[in-house]
Amino acid sequence: MDRLATAWAIFQGLLLEALPFLLIGVLIAAVARWLAPGGAWLQRLPRHALLGPLTGAALGFALPACECGNVPVARRLLAAGAPLGTALGFLFAAPVLNPIVLASTWAAFPNQPWLLAARPLGALLLALALSRVLSLLPEADLLSRDLLEERRLSLPLSRASLLERRSGLVGLPEQPVRTAMAGTRPPLQEVLEHGSREFLDLAALLVLGCAIAAAVQTLLPRQWLLAVGSAPTLSILSLMLLAVVVSVCSSVDAFLALGFAAQVTPGALLAFLVLGPVVDLKLLGLLGVVLQPRAIALTAGTAAVLVLLLGQWFNLALL
Amino acid sequence: MRPLVLALWGTVLLQSSLSGRLDLLLRGVFHPLVGLSGALLLGLAMLQLPGGLRRGGRRNQHTPWPWLLSGVVAVAVLLLPPRPSFSQLAANRSAPLETEPTLDFLLPPAQRSLTDWVRLLRSQPDPELYAGDPVRISGFVLQPPGEPPQLARLLVRCCLADATPVGLPVRWPAGSHPRSDQWFELQGQMGVERWRDQWRTVVIAERIRPIPRPRRPLEP
Repeated sequence: MDRLATAWAIFQGLLLEALPFLLIGVLIAAVARWLAPGGAWLQRLPRHALLGPLTGAALGFALPACECGNVPVARRLLAAGAPLGTALGFLFAAPVLNPIVLASTWAAFPNQPWLLAARPLGALLLALALSRVLSLLPEADLLSRDLLEERRLSLPLSRASLLERRSGLVGLPEQPVRTAMAGTRPPLQEVLEHGSREFLDLAALLVLGCAIAAAVQTLLPRQWLLAVGSAPTLSILSLMLLAVVVSVCSSVDAFLALGFAAQVTPGALLAFLVLGPVVDLKLLGLLGVVLQPRAIALTAGTAAVLVLLLGQWFNLALL
Repeated sequence: MRPLVLALWGTVLLQSSLSGRLDLLLRGVFHPLVGLSGALLLGLAMLQLPGGLRRGGRRNQHTPWPWLLSGVVAVAVLLLPPRPSFSQLAANRSAPLETEPTLDFLLPPAQRSLTDWVRLLRSQPDPELYAGDPVRISGFVLQPPGEPPQLARLLVRCCLADATPVGLPVRWPAGSHPRSDQWFELQGQMGVERWRDQWRTVVIAERIRPIPRPRRPLEP
C-alpha cells in the first residue's frame, strides 16, 4: 500500500511540474500561429542537411523550456511547413540548447568545464544525427497523420499537390481544417480554441507518460542502476536507463545528476545529460503527436546507440 | 466539454498551489509557475465557456476519449492528495554525492538542520571535529538495511521523482522504538562511534519528541 501511495505521489509530482512547461510551449505555438499565420517565414528557413538542423537548434534559445514545452512548438513548426531538418533539429536540440538548461548545468557543475562544453555539443551532435536519420524516411512514414495533413495544407501546391491533401477529397470523411489560410490572421477565439485542444491532447499523453514513469520508478530500485558505477560501459548503459526512467525535465536534470556524479564515470554522466532530454518515458507519449510510432522507435534506438558511443568516447578520453 | 476539462486541470494546478500540496511534491521555485498556469487555464476555460455552451446547445459534439480520461485523472488528483511514504521513497534511492565542496557559510551547531550537518560532514568528514557539539534537528525515521534507524530528510532538486535521502546515524535513548516514517525533533550532542571498522559521527539523542510532518518536508 505504501508503494502505491508513493507511486501516486511521484506521479503527481512529475505531472504538476511538467504541465506548466507544456502550457508555455502551447502558448508560444499559439502566439506564433496568430502572429505569423501560414508561417511563410518558417518555410523560408534553411533546408540544407546541416544548416537546417543547426538553425533549428539555435531556435532553442528563444524557448527557455524543457522537452515537454518544445514538443508543441516543434509540432507548430512542422504544421506551418518549416523544413523537416530544421524542425527536427529544434525538437531534439532545444531541450538542452536553451539558456535555462545551460545555466543550470553550469550551476550544478561549476568545477567541470568539460561537461559545460560537452553537454551542448553532445546534444547538438545527437540532434544533427537524428535529423539526418529521420529525414531518410518519407514524410508519410515519419510524421503523425494529423500533423502530416496540417503540414500539407500549409505547403505551397508546388510541394504538396492537391491529391496529397486528404481534406476535401471525394469519398473521404470531412476533416476539420485546423490551419489558417496563408497570410490571413485567424480570429483570436479560434487560436485559443486550437491551443486549448492541443494542450488537452498533449496533457492526456503526458498523464500516460508520467504514470508509466512513476510506476517504473517505484518498482525499480535506483541502486540497481547505480551499482555498476565504475564499470565504463555498464555505467553508461545504467545511467541511460536511469535517464529514460526518471523523466525529469532538462532544466533541472543537472542537479539530479550532481547527486550521483561522484559514483559514476564521466561518460555515463554525459550520457544521462544528453539522452534524457531526447528520450524518456514521460516524453514518449508526447512525441506521438509529432512522429509515427516507427519513427519514435527509430529515434529511441538511434539516440541510444549514439549516446552510448559518445559516452564510451568520453570515458576513453577522460579515464 | 473542452472548457470543462481545461477548468478541471486549472483547478488542479491552482488548488495544489494554494492548499500547500506542492510543498510535498515540488521544489519551491516551481510553485509560482504552477499557480500561474492554473489561473491561466481557468481563464482560458472561462473565455471559451460561452462558445462551448452555444455549440453544446446546438448539437452533441464528440469528445475525444483521451480528454475524458485526463478529466477523470484530474478529478482523482483533486480528490486523492499525495501521501508518500518517505522511508519507502528513500529505500528505493541511492544516497547523494560522496563529497561536498567546501561550505561557504556555517551556522552555529545548535542552529544547523539535519541537511546542514550532512553537508558539513561530507565536506569535512573528521568525526572528532564535532564531538560534543550541541544538536537540534528534525526528520523522519529511515531504516537502512542492517543498521540502526537513522534520522533522515529528502533532498529535492525538481520534484519527488528525484528525491534523494540524507540521513544521520542516531544513538536513540534507551527504551525508544522509533518506527519508519515517524517524524521526530531530536536534541542531543554529536559523538563518535566505531562502525564497521571506521570511526563515524553519531547523534547521541538526549531528548526526542514526536512531531507531525512539517508543512515543507522537502529540502533543496
